[in-house]
Amino acid sequence: MAANETTVKLDGVSKSFGEFTAVRDLSLTVRAGRVFGLLGPNGAGKTTTIRMIVNITAPDSGSILLFGRHIDSNLQDRIGYLPEERGLYKKMRVADQLRFFAEIKNMRGKEIESKIDQWLARVKLSEWKNKRSMELSKGMQQKIQFITSVIHDPDLLILDEPFSGLDPVNVELLKEIVLDLKRAGKTIIFSTHQMEVAEKICDDICLLNRSQKVFEGSLREIKSSFGRNSVAVRCEGGDGVLDDPGLVSKLVRHADEAQALLASGADAQTLLKRLIDSGAVIGKFEMVEPSLNDIFITKVTEPA
Amino acid sequence: MKKFLSVVKREYVQRVRAKMFIVSTILLPLVMSLFGLVPAIILSIETPPMRVAVVDQTGRMYSQLRQALFNDQQEAGTQNANAAAPPTTPRRNFSRFVLEEVDATDQPLDQIRASLDQRLRARELDGYVILPPAFLSEGKAEFVNRNPGDLFSPRVLQSAINRAAREQRLIDAKVDPKTRQELFKTVELQSVKVGAAGDQQQPDSGGSFAIVFGVGFVMYLAILMYGQIILGAVIEEKETRIAEILFSSVKPFTLMMGKLVGVSLVALTQLAIWGIAFSVFALYGVGLLASQGMRASIPSIPFSHYIYFGLFFLLGYFIYATIYALVGSMVTTAQEGGQLAMPIILVLVISFYLFWPVSRSPDSPFSFWVSMIPFTAPVAMLVRIVTQTPPFWQIALSLLIGFSSVLVIMWLASRIYRVGMLMYGKRVSIPEAIRWARQA
Repeated sequence: MAANETTVKLDGVSKSFGEFTAVRDLSLTVRAGRVFGLLGPNGAGKTTTIRMIVNITAPDSGSILLFGRHIDSNLQDRIGYLPEERGLYKKMRVADQLRFFAEIKNMRGKEIESKIDQWLARVKLSEWKNKRSMELSKGMQQKIQFITSVIHDPDLLILDEPFSGLDPVNVELLKEIVLDLKRAGKTIIFSTHQMEVAEKICDDICLLNRSQKVFEGSLREIKSSFGRNSVAVRCEGGDGVLDDPGLVSKLVRHADEAQALLASGADAQTLLKRLIDSGAVIGKFEMVEPSLNDIFITKVTEPA
Repeated sequence: MKKFLSVVKREYVQRVRAKMFIVSTILLPLVMSLFGLVPAIILSIETPPMRVAVVDQTGRMYSQLRQALFNDQQEAGTQNANAAAPPTTPRRNFSRFVLEEVDATDQPLDQIRASLDQRLRARELDGYVILPPAFLSEGKAEFVNRNPGDLFSPRVLQSAINRAAREQRLIDAKVDPKTRQELFKTVELQSVKVGAAGDQQQPDSGGSFAIVFGVGFVMYLAILMYGQIILGAVIEEKETRIAEILFSSVKPFTLMMGKLVGVSLVALTQLAIWGIAFSVFALYGVGLLASQGMRASIPSIPFSHYIYFGLFFLLGYFIYATIYALVGSMVTTAQEGGQLAMPIILVLVISFYLFWPVSRSPDSPFSFWVSMIPFTAPVAMLVRIVTQTPPFWQIALSLLIGFSSVLVIMWLASRIYRVGMLMYGKRVSIPEAIRWARQA
């Protein structure tokens, strides 16, 4: 798939439930072969947006193009969807379960069996193939749910909070799989409210807040547009300097270091000099990119 | 279509494989036969015969009464029993009597009464009958029973005395035995269907009625057993939170229909197993009866009727099953659904009562309309078919209305289900409904 092809295109999409508007006039473009982060706090409209893309619910207005076509139920077979609300049939065996989910994606019988084995091996659950899902731990169940969304080799994979509740080892495992799929040319939409996770795997992001788009673009672009105006500092003494609003517009103290966002007009050199002059002992002084979280907070609080 | 079949297959295989299915398939007939057997066993418990003294002041009645009473018992007993044999083993043991004649000629009645009362208290006797001298003309007798709660024996006794009196009066009127026999010959009334009268004597629809009742009963049973399962099946994806994953692959209507058909196939499988087992036993039983000289025949019913029985059974089953699905789509837990489903059973029971008005006038407008309304059609239309088969277009129309209703209800259920899950209680807007209907 060519790099500049568009997988999903939303144009002026709105959706409301009674009085409540879940999504307002949303336009966005998901490019093929990229990981697209749909970010925002809880209730921002992420899940509703995704449901419209997967054709579970229809927009009130606006258009949605998927692979250049208007969505219909046949296109659903090319999508893999792992919703935030997910479960398994408790009494069904793992293999039967995966076979069922593959069948309703119109997969052919022969292909299904080999894919089941392949994916179970990949997530290290091969020996659980004939166990009922209620015998599995929560983490194992989550990996099985993940397989249900990828077993039919979809061109577009949509993951809604895929890592919530997983231990770090399994998060790493799934992240690796997602990146492999991206390398194989698949498009991935990744929805989360955890900015730190998104920062590590997304190429492009779209920030949603209160049903509206706040920002859309590549992660690199947005980060560089904010510039390196943040400093990570670890020092003893010099508190008065860091609290000077002329130098630091925002200060976040972590356990053993602080992150200072430089005030407009101030520069890092001046800050360093003032700290040394005040007699502070400096353990660390490093220019850092703003975190996605900082950007998000800035964007959301910024007057429109 | 392929997705639909996948849903059906999953639903069917998972359920048929479950232990519950196997256990209930075996257990239910056992429980049912237990229900049938226990009363039979209880009724067969031997009770001692009732000792009754007869004070015959007419002097002519005792032997007549004895004959009437024991002939009665003999008839109730084995049929091939020879008339001369003593009535030793009557089948209905609760009507067994031991009679004793009390000489009423040389003592005053009060004295006889006093001694009989004493014997009653001493439990030597269970009761006594006094036939006063004017009994034959006035027809009044007296029965003293030690156990006034016994409702059955006085009735048996009364009818025997009645017959004995009638016989004796005829004898008194000098009617010869042959005429007496002729007088008591029972009349045979054979109902014959219109059109079949004349040379081709067709048996009445009694047998057909029995089958309609049977079909209705099996329908009721299937709904009672499987309605709740359908409800549970519809709720399953909500409770396990699978619904959203499924809806990214299948349409809600496909899912709903798949579930309904899947569970229904399970129900039909179970009914078929029972049906076959029952038929085998029944055939064996008929054979057994035949070998004993008893005639048990299967009522002769036109072949087309069997097809109608099948079709209307399916209609009845599905129309009620879909209501369970509809309820399932609205609620979030099975308990909640169980309460909401109660009125469904009520409607089903009411539809049974239509049996009588419809069978009395199968051609009335009332019968026509109830046989068109999907919820009452299965019973009402079958009754009409076995009584005065309505024109074919009416049967076809009834089936069409019924099965269309099934689809409409399922469509509605799938919409409510989807909206309920996704819209957090939002009501369906008409433009949205139209858009989704067009897409489907």
